[in-house]
Amino acid sequence: MSRSVPWLLVPLLLTAVAGCGIAAAAPQQAAGQAGSVNLSLTTVPTIRSVTISPGRASFAHCTGGDGGANTRSTSGKLGFPNGECWVGSNIAGSYPITVTNTGIGSDIDISGSSAVPVDGGDGWSLCTIGGNGAVMCTGSERRPGPDQYQVLNFSTWGTARGGIRGIPRCDRVFGPGGSCWAVEGMVVTEGLELIGPQWSSDTSTKWTVTITWTPVPGRQN
Amino acid sequence: MQPRLWLTLPLGALALLAWPAASYASVGVGVQAGPVLLDGIAHPGAQYALTPVYVVNTGTETESVSISVERISAGTGRTVPPGWISASSAPVHLSHAQSARIPLQLTVPRTAAPGRYFSDVVATGSASLSAGGAQLGVAAATNLEFTVAPGPASAAWFSVPGWLLPYVIGVLVVAAAAVGLRRSGVTIRVERAAARTNVGGRRNDVA
Repeated sequence: MSRSVPWLLVPLLLTAVAGCGIAAAAPQQAAGQAGSVNLSLTTVPTIRSVTISPGRASFAHCTGGDGGANTRSTSGKLGFPNGECWVGSNIAGSYPITVTNTGIGSDIDISGSSAVPVDGGDGWSLCTIGGNGAVMCTGSERRPGPDQYQVLNFSTWGTARGGIRGIPRCDRVFGPGGSCWAVEGMVVTEGLELIGPQWSSDTSTKWTVTITWTPVPGRQN
Repeated sequence: MQPRLWLTLPLGALALLAWPAASYASVGVGVQAGPVLLDGIAHPGAQYALTPVYVVNTGTETESVSISVERISAGTGRTVPPGWISASSAPVHLSHAQSARIPLQLTVPRTAAPGRYFSDVVATGSASLSAGGAQLGVAAATNLEFTVAPGPASAAWFSVPGWLLPYVIGVLVVAAAAVGLRRSGVTIRVERAAARTNVGGRRNDVA
């Protein structure tokens, strides 16, 4: 009994000493430790973006063309020469394409591509009436010439004059007075009018055109 | 009849839930509002890494976002030739609300004129929604700015020919060994041993 007690006491004492050391060290660490507070900060988004939703838009209500040559437009098919097709209607007040500025305040630009036939043949160039550096429409009465086409966009703010160009330019129907400035969350609904070529070199009956909206840093900045 | 009715009701409810998603399909792309910049000044004949450009898919459709350089917005400075900028990792594939940072490389030709350069980095989404025969697409632009200084960049210390550094180290080692030997007092005599001749049984070594 008397011999076993010291052997029991030794580990107990060591544990106690170790515990005292930890207990004593804690206040010393606290005294020299720098205090800190975690703060969270939230900022406004700094993304420039636009989102397009076409709804049930389609080129329909085509008019024009030459009935004598059997190239008059039908309801969903573009005729020659210079048939016209519509996505929506500025007469009926139908604007099926929804353009939303989902980012910070920006100018909203619009541009178009050449029309590409599905057979990969010769396309139609996008032409406009006026504007520096633009491809001019060469047909009669400033309408699209051979292998040219024109796209006009419209909204409740009116119809853009001259037509969409191949390079991004201010979407003049995005706001009042020809302004294309859009604040965050601004929604504008638009429609399109396509005027076809005087005649087409390519005999394809399926064509693709692309209209692109681009938010850009504001020009008034 | 009853089981069919119970089967039809949930299917109808699912169809109603799916209807808004189909109705509001959209395409959208976003880009950082802050300009893409170069840390420091560029020099003709050199390559630089620009700050990576942040792009995000804000539409419901999966997009492939590609990068191009165009002069769209108003600003002063020379127009950046598109060939100077390359985005090796573009296009990037982004699902709804997914974002990425695309590294950009600036290569300034030796013939580049000095001055301030200004254009736009345009992120264009591949996805488009059809409106009849028209495809509706989206893009987003942010400014690109940097300055090119006159003259090539000054040569850095490590731009010396590869053989020069080992050569210099070798010369230094030999020099250090020579100095060490001299200080240690050890002398080395170089002697020429003449042809051995035995005259009268004696050995004559001539130094």
